Amino acid sequence: MLTKKLRIGIVCPYSWDTPGGVQAHIRDLAEFLIASGHSVSVLSPAIDEDVLPSYVVSAGKPISIPYNGAVARVLFGPIAFTRVRQWISQGNFDLLHLHEPAIPSLSLLACWAAEGPLVGTFHAAAKKQKIIFAIGPILEPAIEKLNARIAVSEAARSTLTEHLETDAVVIPNGIYAKRYAGGRPQAKWQGNTIGFIGRFEEPRKGLSVLLEALPIIARFAPDVKVFVAGPGDPDEIKKNIDAQLLPRFEFLGRISEEDKADFMASVAIYVAPNTGGESFGIILAEALAGGATVVASDIPAFDSLLGNGEYGALFESENPTELAKVVIELFRDRDKREALATAGKVHAQNFDWEVVAQQIFSIYEMSIVGSNGVSLATEHRSWNRLLSREIDRE
Amino acid sequence: MKSALVVILIFLIFLWYLSFSATRLDRLHHRVETSWANLDGLLQRRAAIALEIARSEIADPASSLLLTAAAYQAREARVEDRSQAESGLSGALGLLLSDSEFTSSNADKTLLTELSLLTDKIRIAIALHVDAVTSTHNVRSKVIFRLFRLAGRAPLPVTYEFEADVL
Repeated sequence: MLTKKLRIGIVCPYSWDTPGGVQAHIRDLAEFLIASGHSVSVLSPAIDEDVLPSYVVSAGKPISIPYNGAVARVLFGPIAFTRVRQWISQGNFDLLHLHEPAIPSLSLLACWAAEGPLVGTFHAAAKKQKIIFAIGPILEPAIEKLNARIAVSEAARSTLTEHLETDAVVIPNGIYAKRYAGGRPQAKWQGNTIGFIGRFEEPRKGLSVLLEALPIIARFAPDVKVFVAGPGDPDEIKKNIDAQLLPRFEFLGRISEEDKADFMASVAIYVAPNTGGESFGIILAEALAGGATVVASDIPAFDSLLGNGEYGALFESENPTELAKVVIELFRDRDKREALATAGKVHAQNFDWEVVAQQIFSIYEMSIVGSNGVSLATEHRSWNRLLSREIDRE
Repeated sequence: MKSALVVILIFLIFLWYLSFSATRLDRLHHRVETSWANLDGLLQRRAAIALEIARSEIADPASSLLLTAAAYQAREARVEDRSQAESGLSGALGLLLSDSEFTSSNADKTLLTELSLLTDKIRIAIALHVDAVTSTHNVRSKVIFRLFRLAGRAPLPVTYEFEADVL
């Protein structure tokens, strides 16, 4: 039903070549829109400009800054601002879709520089930060230019309402549900097995909670095996594991998308013990789509994704005993396990790109009513003419 | 001499800030108009579909009468009565749809899916419009906007009580 063909500009705030949820979301969205016949240009910081897909335009090399408890590779500054203005004035866009316009990066610059239909998507969920009192007055005039605001989860939405006193429509992140539904169960991962995928070195991914729960689980299910997939150095983690339990672990390294689908279809239980910092939990949606029985910590994002336990079991966050209890119970109760997996698989269809992109597109349609497309904001037009003349002379 | 320059500079910055603020408010008014145009269009389409449903076999003569009346009222309502009229239409549609599970023909089914798609859109459109109106109200209540009458003669956008309008 995506009938009207649009020229859409998408701005990515983080470096395109570093893996991350926002980048993956933008990549999938851009490719879905292109496949539906729209023309899409993505402006993004990039470390290596030679390996970018054809629809990505580099705005320069990112700067690493500490932000929200992690290192963010973002881009701002006068040169970046000039690039953004050029991209907008040459792109002839019907609409701009800005991701994370509240963090200091390209999206915020684009929000300042552009005029016309603007849609913003807010991904992050964070506790109330004092710094916002300082930057709120600066952000407000920019953020209020957005015709529509999208939050990827209830957690992201409440972050937005707390910090900037504005509301948003919740549209979840998308997954290609069909790719995961096609996973073939692999004997090597079946049995009393527990799966974990993620950058396990990061404390907030909560692998340590699973490590602490394992001795208890092993007492009741001696043949339990844990498969950990994801980038990182397993040796550091192995140091902290009891020698007796070490054979119960297998580190698979980074796995491909196809392997991921097989993995989800095979393991008895997929565990997500994250302790926080999660806004949506795309991996859980993927696990559900792949037919896995999910056990997750009860942080707000997971709680809402799993429908308060309807589509997967929840345990009290950072409580290994609780985790062990839930896992053992599910190992014993095959019927309950399968019932959860079946309910989860149906629920995961709501996150399929077919559904999600349609929702995003109706926001686009609503934002472009009666407009002549995106142009440079009036206060920047003369500036840009002056600057581009200077650049021509160079 | 120097202090005179500083005063002039501050005055210029202040002038710039005023024009910046005026542009900002102008954009917000524009946003309200856009979101209203969008919502209005969707509501008109809903009224049209309601009329079509009233003429189809889904509706019995009594509900057909009710629906037709509500749809015309919604279409012809003045701005200030609009919210109420649309709620009336929602009610009439809700009444009919609550026991329409046993509808038969395919044509009727497409009509109903169209309506439910439209309802989803209307819900979002309402959220967008309410948000635009609230932002405008917030900005216009700031001292600097009131003091310098930056809103000019633009009327204060009306808050529509559509939140209660759940279909």
